[in-house]
Amino acid sequence: MTKTTALIFGHNKYSHEIVRNVKDKYSNIRLFSLDENNKTENLPELEYFDLSDKWTEIQKSVDMKNSMAFCVLEDTAENIFLTISLRSNFKDLTIIAISSNKESANKLLMAGANKVIPLTETTSDIITNMLEKPISHKVLHDILYEESNLKIAQVQIGEESEFKDEQLTSIDWTRYNGIVVLSVMHEDMKSEFIYSSKAKHHIIKPGDVLIVVGFEKDIQNFENKIRSRRYVNWSHWSW
Amino acid sequence: MFKRWILDFAYYLDTSKSYQRRKRFFYNILENDKNKYKKYVDLFMILLIFISVGVLIREVKHHVNDELMFFSNYIISFIFFIEYMLRLWVSSSISEIIVARAEHDTFLLRDVNLAKAFKEVIKVKLQYILSAKAIIDLLAIMPFFHELRLLRIFILFRVFKLLRYAKSVQTLSSVLATKKFEFLTLSIFASVVIFVSSVLIYVMEGNNPDSPVNTLFEAVYWSIVTIATVGYGDIVPVTQEGRFVAIVVIMAGIAVLAFTTSLFVSAFTEKLDEIKEIKTIEGISKLKNFYLICGYENVSREVSRKLSSHANEIIIIDEDPLRVEKAKKDGYRALNYNPGNVESYDKLNINFDKQIKAVLCLRESDIENVYAALTIRSFNKNIFIMSLLMNDLNRKKLEFAGINTVVYPQELVGLITKELIGKPVAFEVIHELRSENSDVQIDELGITERIVENFPTVGALENSRFRVVLLGVYKTANGRFYFNPLDDTLLEVGDYLLVVGYQVFIKEFEKYLHTRAIND
Repeated sequence: MTKTTALIFGHNKYSHEIVRNVKDKYSNIRLFSLDENNKTENLPELEYFDLSDKWTEIQKSVDMKNSMAFCVLEDTAENIFLTISLRSNFKDLTIIAISSNKESANKLLMAGANKVIPLTETTSDIITNMLEKPISHKVLHDILYEESNLKIAQVQIGEESEFKDEQLTSIDWTRYNGIVVLSVMHEDMKSEFIYSSKAKHHIIKPGDVLIVVGFEKDIQNFENKIRSRRYVNWSHWSW
Repeated sequence: MFKRWILDFAYYLDTSKSYQRRKRFFYNILENDKNKYKKYVDLFMILLIFISVGVLIREVKHHVNDELMFFSNYIISFIFFIEYMLRLWVSSSISEIIVARAEHDTFLLRDVNLAKAFKEVIKVKLQYILSAKAIIDLLAIMPFFHELRLLRIFILFRVFKLLRYAKSVQTLSSVLATKKFEFLTLSIFASVVIFVSSVLIYVMEGNNPDSPVNTLFEAVYWSIVTIATVGYGDIVPVTQEGRFVAIVVIMAGIAVLAFTTSLFVSAFTEKLDEIKEIKTIEGISKLKNFYLICGYENVSREVSRKLSSHANEIIIIDEDPLRVEKAKKDGYRALNYNPGNVESYDKLNINFDKQIKAVLCLRESDIENVYAALTIRSFNKNIFIMSLLMNDLNRKKLEFAGINTVVYPQELVGLITKELIGKPVAFEVIHELRSENSDVQIDELGITERIVENFPTVGALENSRFRVVLLGVYKTANGRFYFNPLDDTLLEVGDYLLVVGYQVFIKEFEKYLHTRAIND
C-alpha cells in the first residue's frame, strides 16, 4: 500500500530537506506553516494551520488514510501537541515526527506518532559510527542511501514459494543467489534477526517478509525464484 | 679592541644554533616541567639528597666508611655545584643582554656602552643568586667544606632542595603566595601578641623565686607554646597576675590559630579550580589516542557518551563554564578553554600527531566550528577534523576551514525520511544494526597474520556455525568492499570482515579466530 499524499507540518530546514527527498515518491505534497508571515515568501504551496482541532478543511481535500504526516515543528511542545491532535482525529494516519532528544521522542510516541526520528541520537550515532566503525558505516550508508549497487529490500514469501514450510535456519541463505538474508518478519509483525533463537525454529509461511541485502539483479532473481515481490506495509508500525 | 672582541663573541653565541640548542637542552631538563626527561633528573637529585641525609643521620652514632663519606661530601656536592652553575647559566642570557644593548646603542647612533650591559647582566644574575631557591642550592653545596664541622649542618639544606623537585610543595607555596598580604598581617599580629605576652609574663613572674620563668627566652618560649595551644606544661605561671596574662594569651592564641586556619582554607579554596586544571592537563599529557571534542551541547553530549562507552578517551573543551561544569558532572575530562583560541592548545601542550585520534567540532554554531577548526588547522595540517554543520549554506566555509568530514543533521532527516517511506522495515534493520542499544550489531573484525595462516579463505571461516552473518570483506589493499564473497576468496592481512550477529556470538567468533590461530 503506497501513500499518495505527504502532509508536512512546519516550515523550516527540516521540512525543506524532507520535501527535497520525498517529492518523487508522492503525487501530492502539502506544506503547512504555523506562522502566517511565512506566506509572504515565494512558496505558493505553503499553507497555514493552527493547533486547534479544526482539520475539516484539510480533511476535505486529502484522503487521510492514504497520507503520511511529517511533524517537524521546531518547538517540541508544539510538535507533541500537533501529533496528539492529528492522532486523536485520524486514527489511520501514519505520522512521522522529529524530536530533539530521547525524552521528547518518548512523548511523541505516547502522543501517537508511528515513528520518531530522535535528531541528537541519530546524529551522534552517525558520528560515532563514522569514527569507530568507518567501514561498516560506509557500507551501511551506501546500502541504505543507494549510493552503491548494493541494495536492501523487503521481500514477501509468496504462496508458490519453494521455501514454504521449510525451517528458516535449514536454508543456507548467505550463499543463496548472491544475496544475504538479514532478518525475517513474521505474523507478529516483528522483525527477527535470522540467527535469533525465535527465528531458528520458524517455519516459513506465505506472507513472511525477508529483509535481504544484495545487488539489484540478484534480488530480482531471488524474487522470481521464490515467487515473491517487494513489499511495503505501513500497518507494521504499531503505536 | 677588547670591546669589539666581546661584542663579536656575544653575537656569535646569540646566533650559534648549537650553543642555543645546548642551552635549551639544559634549560628543559632543569626547569621545564613539560620536558619528559626532567623527572629523571629530579629523581636522581632526590636520591642524592636522601643519600647525604642518610649519611648525616648514620654519622651521629656510628662510623660511616670513608668511601661513602667521600661520596656524600665531595661527589654529591660537586654534582650539586654543577647543577647550581647550570641553573645560573640558563636563568638568563648574558649574550642576549649584550646584543640587545649593542643594537639599542647602534640604533641611536651611539658608542656601545658595555658597562651598562654588564651592569644589567650582574643585576639579572644577582636577582637569580638571591632568590630563595638559589640560596638553598648554594647552601646545599656547603658541606663540600667538610673540615668545617659547623658547615656539615648545611646538609640539611639539601632537604630543602627537595622543595625544588616536589611539585606538590611548589603548588602549596604558589597557593600560599597568593595570600602574602594576609600572612604578613597575621605574622605582625602574632609577633605583637608574642612580644607583649612574653614581656608581660617576664615582668610578672621574673622576680618570683617559685616561678619557672627566669629569663626572657623562657618567657618567649612559654608565649609561643601557649599561643600555639600546645601547652607542654613545663613552664607555668604561678602568680595571680601571671595567670591573668595566661588567660589573655590563650584567647589571643585561639584568634591567631583561627586566623591561620582560615587563611590556609581560603587560599586553597580560591586556587582549587586552578590546581584541578593543572592536574587535568598533566593527565592529558600522558594520554595517547584520544578524541578532542570542542563544545559540549546536545549532540556533543551524546557523542561523548557513546565514545566513552566504547572505552575511548575523550577530552572536552568549551568556553562556557556552565557547559564545562555539566561535562565534568557527566564524568568527562573537561576544560574551560576556548576551542577557537590558540592559547588553549598551548596550555594543553598536546602533540596533535601522536596523541589525538580526531578532533570533533560539535558546537551547534557553524561560526564557532569554523573558528575552532581554523585554529586547530593552524597547529596541524594532518589531524582529522569532523564537524557539525547547522546550515547548508555554510558547508563550503567549513570545508575551506580544513574540516575533513561534515555531518549535517537536517540532511540526515531528509535521507532517513526517504528510506523510511520506501523501506520501513529494512530501514529499521539497518538502524538497529547501527544503534548501540541493539542486541544485533554489525562489527568489523581485522584480519591478522595468524588468522590468515589458519583461515586462508572465506570458506574456512565457518561463521554460520557461530550464528554470524558475513556481510562481506573489506580489502584494505584496494579500498574495496566485496559483498557476500565466494568461499574461495583469499583473505589477506589488513582485511576486515564485516559481520552481523548478536554481540555475544560475534565475540565468540572473534575469539575462535584468534584462539584457533594461537592453538594451532
